[in-house]
Amino acid sequence: MTLDPILATLIVVAIWFLVFVCLHIAGLRSGHDNAQWLVRSYAACSAATLVCVVALSMWRDSGQALLLSLLIAMLSSTCLFVLYVPAVYTILTSLSVATLILLRRGGGRMPESSLYERFATRGIIQRRLCVLVGAGYLVQGAGGFSLTPRGRAFARGFAFMKRLWCLEPGG
Amino acid sequence: MTLIYFGCVIVSVLTWFTTSVDLGFLARPLLIEPGWLDFSLMLFFLTAAFFGGVLQLYNLADRGFSLRILIDVEKTDSHPIDADWLIVNYGGGKGLTWMYEKRIEGLLATKLVDRKAENIELTSKGERAADVFLAVRRFLRLEPQS
Repeated sequence: MTLDPILATLIVVAIWFLVFVCLHIAGLRSGHDNAQWLVRSYAACSAATLVCVVALSMWRDSGQALLLSLLIAMLSSTCLFVLYVPAVYTILTSLSVATLILLRRGGGRMPESSLYERFATRGIIQRRLCVLVGAGYLVQGAGGFSLTPRGRAFARGFAFMKRLWCLEPGG
Repeated sequence: MTLIYFGCVIVSVLTWFTTSVDLGFLARPLLIEPGWLDFSLMLFFLTAAFFGGVLQLYNLADRGFSLRILIDVEKTDSHPIDADWLIVNYGGGKGLTWMYEKRIEGLLATKLVDRKAENIELTSKGERAADVFLAVRRFLRLEPQS
């Protein structure tokens, strides 16, 4: 019995994506920088996926069939990635999640003012500004923080998107 | 958003069933067989593009904290800013308190927390969610191990 080429491709994608998730989790557990580690481990696993798909197809398919397998591999891997990343970032950075966790640690109930003192503070902003500097979107000078060209392009792109969706100014 | 998604699914399914497999021009090696695999992949790609793509972009544009900081800085015409400026001017002049109020309102709307007098209290749904988040964060060694 021979396995369907596309089904075989999907199995390869699933295996390498699982390897990526394990690598990413191992990196987080050992204290690697999340964003860098995420991109590097995914890039390595994507490359491995494509190599495996080519190797698997070489003795059986060529030309258009190989092209289809590669296309399906890239698409499915990218789809899994775009579903995985938001879930990770929600757990890592969401203020709503942090609020739920703080409430749980505090016995399930806290005065609303305490939550504001914890989450609507200078410290939260300062930490986020440092993350943005680290990611290359902001640069810190003598007068304060200003945008890098990359940060400006990003901000303009999303400002346009907000206008397109008629979203209110806030975030 | 969910309605839009289901609308897209219905249109895609109808299109899939009413068009020929090769769309009239695709070569045989470019067709995915068997048909159920082609259909499942179509639904998977659509779902990922919607929930991982469009919906995430929408959420980011609507609620992204870091993104909003970048947009606020961009609006200052290259004047450097600091944390104190952002506390007052975050979110197009709404301020940081408003930002957190929006999060609390979101948690109240999804019934993860309840407001009781001066307190915010976890609901049973909120407790379950918090337990899951805590377990994941502990597993990732992002929380103190207990």
